[in-house]
Amino acid sequence: MRKTIQALSLILFTAFFALATYRLPDWLPADLYLRIDPLLGLNALLASREMIGRVLWSLILIGATITVGRFFCAYVCPLGASIDFLDFLLFRKSKRPGLKTDSRLRRWKYFLLIVIIAAAVTGVSLAYLLDPIALLTRFYTLVLYPLTVTVVNLLLDLLRPLSQGLGWVNLAHLHYPQPVYYMTALTLAIFGAVIALNRFAPRFWCRYLCPLGALLSLISPLGVFKRRVSGECNRCMVCRNGCPMGAIGEDPFIAGAADCIQCRECALICPQKAISFPASFPGVREVSGLDLSRRGFVYSVGGGLTLGFLSLRTPFTSLQGRRKLIRPPGALPETAFLRTCIRCGECMKSCVTNTLQPSLWESGFSGLWTPKLELRMAACEPNCNVCGKVCPTQAIRSLSMEEKTHAKIGTAVLRKEMCLVWAQNKMCLICDEICPYNAIVFRPVEGYRRPVVIASRCNGCGYCEQRCPVRGESAIVVAPDGEIRLAEGSYIREAKKLQLEFKPDPGDDKYLLEESGFKVEQGEKEEKSVPADKPIPGKPKGFL
Amino acid sequence: MVGDSGIISRRQFILTTATGVAIGLAGNPSFLHAAEEVDLAVISGEPAAATRKALEVVGGIARFMKKGQRVVIKPNMSFARTPDFAATTHPQVVVAVAQACIDAGAKEVLVLDHTLQRAELCLERAGIRDACRNMPGVHVLALQDRKFFREIRIPQGKVLERVEVLTDILDHAVLINVPVAKSHSTTGVSLGLKGLMGLIWDRESFHSQFSINQGIADLATVIKPQLTILDATRAMVSGGPGGPGDVKKPNLIIAGVDPVAVDSYGVGIVPWYGRNFKGRQVEHLLAAYQRGLGKIDVEKLKIYKGNV
Repeated sequence: MRKTIQALSLILFTAFFALATYRLPDWLPADLYLRIDPLLGLNALLASREMIGRVLWSLILIGATITVGRFFCAYVCPLGASIDFLDFLLFRKSKRPGLKTDSRLRRWKYFLLIVIIAAAVTGVSLAYLLDPIALLTRFYTLVLYPLTVTVVNLLLDLLRPLSQGLGWVNLAHLHYPQPVYYMTALTLAIFGAVIALNRFAPRFWCRYLCPLGALLSLISPLGVFKRRVSGECNRCMVCRNGCPMGAIGEDPFIAGAADCIQCRECALICPQKAISFPASFPGVREVSGLDLSRRGFVYSVGGGLTLGFLSLRTPFTSLQGRRKLIRPPGALPETAFLRTCIRCGECMKSCVTNTLQPSLWESGFSGLWTPKLELRMAACEPNCNVCGKVCPTQAIRSLSMEEKTHAKIGTAVLRKEMCLVWAQNKMCLICDEICPYNAIVFRPVEGYRRPVVIASRCNGCGYCEQRCPVRGESAIVVAPDGEIRLAEGSYIREAKKLQLEFKPDPGDDKYLLEESGFKVEQGEKEEKSVPADKPIPGKPKGFL
Repeated sequence: MVGDSGIISRRQFILTTATGVAIGLAGNPSFLHAAEEVDLAVISGEPAAATRKALEVVGGIARFMKKGQRVVIKPNMSFARTPDFAATTHPQVVVAVAQACIDAGAKEVLVLDHTLQRAELCLERAGIRDACRNMPGVHVLALQDRKFFREIRIPQGKVLERVEVLTDILDHAVLINVPVAKSHSTTGVSLGLKGLMGLIWDRESFHSQFSINQGIADLATVIKPQLTILDATRAMVSGGPGGPGDVKKPNLIIAGVDPVAVDSYGVGIVPWYGRNFKGRQVEHLLAAYQRGLGKIDVEKLKIYKGNV
């Protein structure tokens, strides 16, 4: 029963993850699991000092935990399910004598929770590192998703002779574009460590480390379902050894209410059938079960504050917004963005062109795993606005397509010394050809036609940077200059105020193309000197 | 595909060794004897009706294919643009051609393009996949992986010695090119011959390493559509190939066996970038003509003009 619910929850989580693509319908909350996570919500609220609408979803889980208890970990948590499943696969047969330091280790999750909250108060978002939902989503995006595509393509390749032979045309031509990401290895290592810890104790992560579990266990003792042991009990201790959370103490009649995740494993394995979980109302005694040493509490508060302040007092903070780091369209102003983003990777998963990548050290410790655009690899697709739609904390605002078009993410800058046209007088028009906004035009400069960027039309999509045929670095790169980052309000209005125009207008192109490849008729030869402000008459490219 | 005999046998050799399946190429020449043909059918009207009429005028699709054959239709669906941008072939034109092939007994019809933008987006926005959705036997596919391409030699190539082309057009006897009429910032216009670049793997080198105009002519010596149907129901006369640009509505379908003739006629129907041109003025068309790949002078063509 529990395992079924757990498996269904994992499947649901996976399905929502899979559905996070550019075609996501507006009504579908693909980031549901992240939204209901109160730790992520609390962290984002404290760090950003803003009210975030989507965070209210976490009241569902808070309410349910208060009424029912800490059921989330056993039934809903997809990381818990993954841990249980992999534990079954990998460590089923290994002997785990239990840790002598159990009770002290158990406090660690509370210390971590305190560190996270203290850091959030200073304005540093740390929850992403250890929050189970963010951690698992990140693992899904950066590791599992690319791996799955690889395996599926491999299978399709193996099947291809067969599907060709049988005339299954669609299958024979099926191939999924391979997503690629930075930070894959590191993300895998972290997830691998979470699983490997099971070697020491079942659900090691959940028992000792998970800060969400800690948060939930703080409110769970109020829950109505309590473990009760009847007089049939003969102290055989089967339940104590079988409890995946190690929540049952030396006296089998008492289980730490905070640690019990209501999995009812003990009731199942009890030879005497002495254990039940009846509904009862909480007593005060049970609530005060948490014992954190005063020293540990002070240390973790102090540690969190210190960590927060230290990670803010670096040149990275002074340089915020002064580096070449292109953020997704609709991203909050940089400081607020760093505080609000929970690094779940959902935006990178859903990004249709795969341009969204986790940051490495570009903006320091406080920017790890935050999304940036890798425009040399892929552009930001004009007809897509999914990254904001799936952002659970709205660090990337969910924008309509029209708004997103006006959320300028940067401006293309032509590096003349590298450009084939400027530096080598070669015929190349690829940036102009590919630009969806006609922001690149050819202007006569000293008798030659040269590509020029019209900044007021460029919204930074990066098609030019991606397609520039210059080897190595592109001769046209998008810099954050001119980006519009609004915490609230309309991008359209802001763009209008700045006199930006992203509606593509072919008018300019008419003249710019009116030279290069068409052949001139006899007697219609090109004039040699041309006033710089007038188009060069002649034939468009391609004609003789 | 029917090229000169040298190419046929070589390709057949590749096919035989590679797949062990001999594909009969000998049956095709029947259309060469078809009596009284026009060079071009130029039909004005709604996309679907005009396409059907044009097919009829050039002798019916059955002239180009046999029952049980697989047909590849090559529209332009290279950009994630809706049909009104005129960057892609009108879906109804593709549907009309595909339906004709099915009606003539085609085993299956593959509508293929190697898209420039993300395949899924192109398929979705160009509208061709949706339009063909309820047509059994018709498959609309955008291919973006190298494994779907195979290298062939270009014996008459001037700038290209070999090229990787979509395997499906090598393995199929029938290729029907259904380009859209649009301007092109590098080649002036993008009609049928330029559209052949949608059947090959590496297009970058055309832009950076050699003359794209000669490259297109090289391609045309090995990729020979049985029929070219130019969708000039709309024409993007500037801002091509991706657009947005000025869209005119000539409301024409131009069909013919000779790819150079179809394109050459297409050059003359609207002013490009605000000026009138003839086929000879388009560098890649002239190059193809000079290689003996078709007729370029519209005045010398036998043209059927009609309305529907």
